[in-house]
Amino acid sequence: MIMSVRQWPLRDRIGVFTLAPIFLLLGLLLFFPPDGAQRSDWAQFIGGFHLLTIHLPIALILLIPLFEIAGGSRQFSYLRCSVDFILPLAVFSAIIAAILGWFLARSGGSSGPLVTQHMWGGFFVSVVCWLCWMLHGRLPSRRFDAAYFAGLAIAVSLVSFTGYRGGQLSHGVNHLTEHMPKPLRNWLGISQEKTPTAATPDSFFNARVEPIFAQRCVSCHGPSQQKSQMRLDTYEGVMRGGKTGPVIKAGDSKNSVLLQRISLPFGSDKIMPPDGKPTLSADQIQLIALWVSAGASPTLAANAIQGAPATVVQPVAELTFAKNDTVTVARQRAPLAEALASLQKRYPGIIEYEARDSALLTINASLMGSKFGDDDIAQLKPLYNSFSVADFSNTAITDRSAPNIAAMKHLRVLRLMRTRITDATVLAFGGLNELESLNVFGTGITSASLKTAEHLPKLQHLYAGETRITTSSLPPNALKSKLVF
Amino acid sequence: MSVSQKFNHDAILGDPPTPSLEEKPAADVHPEEAFARIQAQTRRHFLRSFTAGVGSMFLGSLASNCPGMACASELNIDGTQRLDFKRDPTRPLSVLPPEFTPRAKRIIYLHMAGAPSQLELFDHKPELTRLDGQDCPESFLKGKRFAFISGVPKLLGSQYPFHQAGKNGLWLSDRLPQFEKHIDDVCFIKSMHTDQFNHAPAQLLVHTGNARLGYPSMGSWVIYGLGSENQNLPGFIVLVSGGKQPDGGKQLWGSGFLPSIYQGVQCRSHGEPVLYLQNPKSVSRALRRDELDAIDQINQQQFEEFGNPETITRISQYEMAFRMQMEATDVLDIRKESAPTLAEYGCKPGEESFANNCLVARRLAERGVRFIQLYHWGWDTHGTNKRDALNGGFNDRCREVDQPIAALLSDLKRRGMLEDTLVVWGGEFGRTSMRENRNGQTTEFVGRDHNPGAFTIWMAGGGIRPGFSHGETDAMGYEVVKDPVEIRDLHATILYVLGFNYRQLNYSFQGLDQKLTSVKPARVVAEVLA
Repeated sequence: MIMSVRQWPLRDRIGVFTLAPIFLLLGLLLFFPPDGAQRSDWAQFIGGFHLLTIHLPIALILLIPLFEIAGGSRQFSYLRCSVDFILPLAVFSAIIAAILGWFLARSGGSSGPLVTQHMWGGFFVSVVCWLCWMLHGRLPSRRFDAAYFAGLAIAVSLVSFTGYRGGQLSHGVNHLTEHMPKPLRNWLGISQEKTPTAATPDSFFNARVEPIFAQRCVSCHGPSQQKSQMRLDTYEGVMRGGKTGPVIKAGDSKNSVLLQRISLPFGSDKIMPPDGKPTLSADQIQLIALWVSAGASPTLAANAIQGAPATVVQPVAELTFAKNDTVTVARQRAPLAEALASLQKRYPGIIEYEARDSALLTINASLMGSKFGDDDIAQLKPLYNSFSVADFSNTAITDRSAPNIAAMKHLRVLRLMRTRITDATVLAFGGLNELESLNVFGTGITSASLKTAEHLPKLQHLYAGETRITTSSLPPNALKSKLVF
Repeated sequence: MSVSQKFNHDAILGDPPTPSLEEKPAADVHPEEAFARIQAQTRRHFLRSFTAGVGSMFLGSLASNCPGMACASELNIDGTQRLDFKRDPTRPLSVLPPEFTPRAKRIIYLHMAGAPSQLELFDHKPELTRLDGQDCPESFLKGKRFAFISGVPKLLGSQYPFHQAGKNGLWLSDRLPQFEKHIDDVCFIKSMHTDQFNHAPAQLLVHTGNARLGYPSMGSWVIYGLGSENQNLPGFIVLVSGGKQPDGGKQLWGSGFLPSIYQGVQCRSHGEPVLYLQNPKSVSRALRRDELDAIDQINQQQFEEFGNPETITRISQYEMAFRMQMEATDVLDIRKESAPTLAEYGCKPGEESFANNCLVARRLAERGVRFIQLYHWGWDTHGTNKRDALNGGFNDRCREVDQPIAALLSDLKRRGMLEDTLVVWGGEFGRTSMRENRNGQTTEFVGRDHNPGAFTIWMAGGGIRPGFSHGETDAMGYEVVKDPVEIRDLHATILYVLGFNYRQLNYSFQGLDQKLTSVKPARVVAEVLA
């Protein structure tokens, strides 16, 4: 009774081996279903071939009943012989396409009922085709080969169903009915309303709700990231919800997960936005709640809800950090690099770049005290044009340095506290057009200096405490608010 | 790092030339010592250096061949160019420029240990005053942990009247009359909050960005990033005001995993500024120099043998201490200030006080000290006794800080230093809107428990928007309702003012790019910037 496998007909042997990929596929679908997470590029790349290979089994499976029917006629009876070849081909190509499809769905971040139906449809197409192949020609009379023909019929309807779901996945849910003429639509009883996938441009949603999502939610639930598989950058996405299902219950804001999560007290574990980010303002929450209560409609007019709060988005000044362009900076620094290096060696620790992204320099000679004088300033000549902040406080400099300091055209901040400079120095500063802060605290200057200071275009502060300028010496009006005593 | 680097104190500003170590050839080793060295090498040493050597040869070849690997160390996790904080190991405190043009170059941080009550100082809550004495609503208590409150406490209105002041009509109480003159210079953040409700961890969080021990303090990060202008003084100086030491202990100015040269140096405002800094009697400065030269030489040999950077830290600390003998004594001696200045601050030289410390802070700032950390104490007003009561010791605390802070701000402003100095004032958390009822009792003394949910800090100076208040708490002043600011946001903001992207001021340790703001993303509070 027991035959060795070797004695089986070739078809049965191949057929039994074909069960292996079918069970492999079953295992993949059962234990590693598509879960909406994105996976590696490789898997996605392989999955991409699903779209390419899928059309072969479809065509083959539709071809088989055609051949069987046409083969009934004597003229085409030779076609029936080809079925023996086409059937296994259809089975193999269907299994391969289904496995590729699993790659696409598992790695490409798909999930949802459409994908599930499409996936199981594909699986059962392979199984039914395999059964047909095994049944084909096995029963004594072809005329009563009913099981085989029933199998073919099931395969064709499964292919149609699965193909339709596949079309919906790639071309949208309404790809067939979308442009269906009205009479046909009526006749078929398909509703007039297209399922909304986008809100109308001037709707309440687009004008007032979406900007809140865009500012506060979309960085995590949007095109770049879909945390919890949720996207809030489109109406469709908002209504679809996330991993745990819809987050908006139209007409019922109290039971809408989205509103529950954004209205939790600050600091709660589950509040959105999380991790101590500022909560949505009360107005923003109310606005979303009103929209949901009103039915979460995509077409509701922007001004339809009486008494909705006006403020939508508070402008929050977010700071972004510029990328450090080291190449440009290095180029800007290059001409003076050598002179700087030698002067830094001579005056260690007092000359430095203002910042890593700048070619401008700061000098703080105040720490050298009386060891730093007029001759030292003269030594710095090559760098004059690069100083933006200079502190010569407490040094031994005198009016002799005035022309040298005046040559530092890019100075923003200049400190000359407790030096021996007089009005002559300040009067030389007429050309310091970028100077914002001038400090002459504790020097001997008088109100005569104010004449120059008055004309410095960018000056904001003139620190003149402990000088001979006094509040009673009545500085020119424009300067009055800038003087600090 | 080359192991042959020699320590050279000629390089340091203003130092008299001293004999360099290089004058002694390295080969000139006593035969006995050479023998001892050979004997000190054991088989274990050999095996260790051998395996490590082979391993590093392998890694080195990987690094040079694989571009991805070579770049890995130069890039942050987010793909941006890593900033280079490498320095000459003999000058670990040398100045490095910040990442971008800074708004401030130094910080004076005034920490009020114990957590001052925002409800008696800055956060005006008329509704709370109206409900004074009523039972606290249950929603305030649900899921909350308190240090001492039990049962259902009573709401407690502000103990002192509030009024508006300054050009922008900011609210404050009558407890800080001198400070009020500067209200148009400061920026309040009333929406600070924290997740720690006990002093030590909360203080650690404020100072190190982490509630656990072992992380570098803000000051350490800052001088690690920027160095110190004055090589004769530490870059990070800490002054406490007598009374109680902060609960967080010396970890508040510790350097954590950063090299220990970056830790804060505590100076005393009473007696000798730094203990054991001065030469003992009969030891001259020249003799001390000779002694240090000998010690340096031994340390240098150690370094050449083992290459441990902490040895270099030790050498440079000895050298700094030597230089500090002159400068520190001078800068910490407030007797050198004029009588009107002393009066303005309310200083009594020789005393250990916050007032004296404020004046010292200004003197340190003038000399290029990067981070000056002042502590005041006794703000933990639970109301259990007169000293710790809002209607008792709290008044004294206010008086102790009011005049010195006002004087410090005036002084900095007058000298043009407020434009590049950031002054920060704050505690470690806030205080409850409810009266503390420790053990279910009420006494004649009024107090509040710890409230991590909301507190107020203020900042002034470099790059900060003056005369502004950011964030709001609820009608009871209990929780933040608008623009909450995390501790890490405050840190990110402070680093921004100093010219850093908080992500870029990092240090690789235990497989992480460690940052002051720790691992969660922070936000620069752009609203408080000028």
